[in-house]
Amino acid sequence: MTPPIGMEPSPLPAVPRKGDAARLRILVVAGEGAGSAALHQSLRQWADDGRLEVDAAPDLPRAVRLLAGQRWDVVLAALGERPDEELAWWVDALRAATGGPRLIAAAQTPSMGLALRAEKLGVLDVLALPLRRDDLMRALERLRSAVGEATIPLPVVEHHAVGQYALVGQSPAMLDVYKLLARVAASTATVLIQGESGTGKEVVARAVHLHGPKASGAFVAVNCAAIPENLLESELFGHEKGAFTGAVTRKVGRFEHAAGGTLFLDEIADMSLALQAKILRAVQEREIERVGGTDTIPIDVRLIAATNRDLKEAIKQGRFREDLYYRLAVVTIRLPKLAERGDDLLLLTAFFIRQFAERYGKRITAISDRALDLLRGHAWVGNVRELRNVIERGVIVANDDTLRAEHLPDEIRGEEAALTDRPQGGLLTLAEVEARYIARVLAHTNGQIGAAAEILGIHRNTLTRKMKEYGL
Amino acid sequence: MSSPLPPVRVEKALELMPELEALAPLRALLISIARPDERALWSSSGPYLTLGKRGVDPDELRRRLPQALHRIAEHVHVLCKTYLEALEARQRGDSAGVVGALVRGGRLEEEVGRLAQARAWYELALSVAEALQDRRPEVEALRALGYLCLRLGQHVEGARQFQRAFALAEAEFDQAGTIAACEGLGDVALAQGEWGGAQAWYSRGLRLAEASGDEGQMGRLERRLGVLARKQGDLATAGDFLRRARERFEAAGRADEMARVLDAQGRLDAQLGRHTAAAAEYREALAWAQRAPRAPGLELSIRLNLAELDLEMGRWLDAEGELRRAEQVAIAANLAGRLAQTYTLMGKLRGAQQDETGFVFFEQAIELARAVERSAAAEAQVYHAYGLFRSQLGQQDEARAYLERARELFDSLGEAVERERVDAELRAMSA
Repeated sequence: MTPPIGMEPSPLPAVPRKGDAARLRILVVAGEGAGSAALHQSLRQWADDGRLEVDAAPDLPRAVRLLAGQRWDVVLAALGERPDEELAWWVDALRAATGGPRLIAAAQTPSMGLALRAEKLGVLDVLALPLRRDDLMRALERLRSAVGEATIPLPVVEHHAVGQYALVGQSPAMLDVYKLLARVAASTATVLIQGESGTGKEVVARAVHLHGPKASGAFVAVNCAAIPENLLESELFGHEKGAFTGAVTRKVGRFEHAAGGTLFLDEIADMSLALQAKILRAVQEREIERVGGTDTIPIDVRLIAATNRDLKEAIKQGRFREDLYYRLAVVTIRLPKLAERGDDLLLLTAFFIRQFAERYGKRITAISDRALDLLRGHAWVGNVRELRNVIERGVIVANDDTLRAEHLPDEIRGEEAALTDRPQGGLLTLAEVEARYIARVLAHTNGQIGAAAEILGIHRNTLTRKMKEYGL
Repeated sequence: MSSPLPPVRVEKALELMPELEALAPLRALLISIARPDERALWSSSGPYLTLGKRGVDPDELRRRLPQALHRIAEHVHVLCKTYLEALEARQRGDSAGVVGALVRGGRLEEEVGRLAQARAWYELALSVAEALQDRRPEVEALRALGYLCLRLGQHVEGARQFQRAFALAEAEFDQAGTIAACEGLGDVALAQGEWGGAQAWYSRGLRLAEASGDEGQMGRLERRLGVLARKQGDLATAGDFLRRARERFEAAGRADEMARVLDAQGRLDAQLGRHTAAAAEYREALAWAQRAPRAPGLELSIRLNLAELDLEMGRWLDAEGELRRAEQVAIAANLAGRLAQTYTLMGKLRGAQQDETGFVFFEQAIELARAVERSAAAEAQVYHAYGLFRSQLGQQDEARAYLERARELFDSLGEAVERERVDAELRAMSA
């Protein structure tokens, strides 16, 4: 077992604050191989002029044990023969470590694939072994630059409460939504809400209900994509006891639950054609039958449907009934993507920070400029829902009155490295740019090659070849 | 460029596959490569994604097929080699060698989840061993069969095999065999909730292990005694046993056993309300599991315990994250039973959030337990949790129906302890 380099460490904050001498605490985990002693020796030599306080652990399990009780700013982990797998384990292990230390991974001849994976996972840097002093110092310098974060007070946010939810935003795109919403709510017309995932379709549906003539009735939401197809029909229309295996009791469906109120059918494009026909009948005839039942039950509900798909394209592909589309799309509200909402991002961020700070009993009054830059630069695939999720996690880990970059998830912090850390301030090679972009698109499509090839505008075989070439 | 066709949902893809043994590897491959639809991840149905809603791209399945076929060929190749070893042992008159090779064949089948095939190897090994004068090979075959029965939930049958192994080993003065049989008998008793029996067998095994100075067996038995003491509520004794096991395994550098003992320690600390310590132990257990020979089942066990701890502490975001990681491990390793367990916990999480749509997780878990895992015990556990979920949402009629179904299943399996738990809940509901 390698003896610890430093003695009993004293607790320090994970990231130095302004005015701190920026002496970083680093935990070196170099295994027990021949290179381990050399690595420790190097770190010892660089400790003083690199303003480092160095400790050591022999392996991942012992490092995890130490990290449970003490704080380090950085963990320098030497990866072994299965670097990809080991990297994933390190990231997993550090997720819950005290003070959120950053990871620097060191590997013999790291591949570009490893570097890109590390970037996606929010690793501070991947360095080659044997370790060079300059490489390490450059990586650490990036961490020290966090000292320079300036704080921006959270702006006051005017919001429109919708039950336990809220409509937030003043961008022109949202103002158009509010105007249409006000016009349509007063009627009982069926509404179709279209927009990407996480743009707030259900909140808008609730707002339409609350400002409409059926506001005194119930608002019943059904997520058509979440419920298995074989159960969706009985969820919507109900069933009689014994109608099918598993129908253990008589069940009243959501249409009946929504009587006198609004039924919100979310992700309606995911419904089978057979069920679409039954919905169409319910909309036209204003009556339903429970599964396994013979009685006809009249219904009095306002219907609001929503989808993140292009229904016209689905109609062309034969996946959605045209007659149902025209029944639902009496009025269509299109919700903008977060990227189209400009400064709404800051308002939403401030709103969510306050909301979650209250929930978790914290007092957060500002956000740092770096954190805000990172949020502004992120590609929000999940739009407001994703932003809300990121802020909730950030508020949970925040330990003073400012939400900082260090409180954001690794995936977002990792994007900062891609933007700012270029070797010797130089530029990327064309291959590096291509590899990084492919990696980003693949991350976006969750590894689906077909979808990634479509976004990149290349044939899937070409993409497969390039992935192999870049070790992705 | 025309837009690519969307992937086919797993629930739809599996509908097209006949229930044939020959297609089992294809089914396993299909499940392991299934991915959530990227558009669905952040959609409002994203939190409810289950295996059935994941997508499979036929092109990718086709591309990965050679890999799967290679693994199948490799498995068959190793099985054939194992048979040849048995044949060569027979040629040189080494019957113990024959039994050893046949038991190895069974273990190889067990590793890939082919339990019926494993039984065939073990039974063959046993029939060869029964004709030998040296009884140690028979003890080995009986032990293998005993553990297989335990895995299949056939407790009575398992106990019978271990009893025979114990009697033979003791008569032959086979110390290691006797200790292992004690361990097996203790495991069966523990699985049946017969704590007194488990205590007696483990303690007897430990005394023998101490006499023979076998550190590995001592550590394993101490861990088991620790788990048992925790279940019996004797938390101080549990802590003592687990500490001793941990010291032994750490000194020996046994990564897999360290992971198991820390997992058990985590559960103990969780029960003691020492949540921070428990979380740290689970995290360290995961780190040890990473160093051990690949054991996705062990990793999953730890992750599920960690998720349960988060759930208990109301850390729902963390619980969800851990459960999603567990789901990924279970899918990649094709562990249907554990996946059912993962979805049951996800349902429990939704119940705690008063989210009615959480019922989709129980429905998926029942389907997995019934159709893929084919385990009535697993199905009963899901129905039990499903009943509690419905009760939490105030749907008492449905809750009662699901609990009654769980009771029926536990009854048919002879699981008296579980049945009693369900009965108590039904009584409480009526009160």
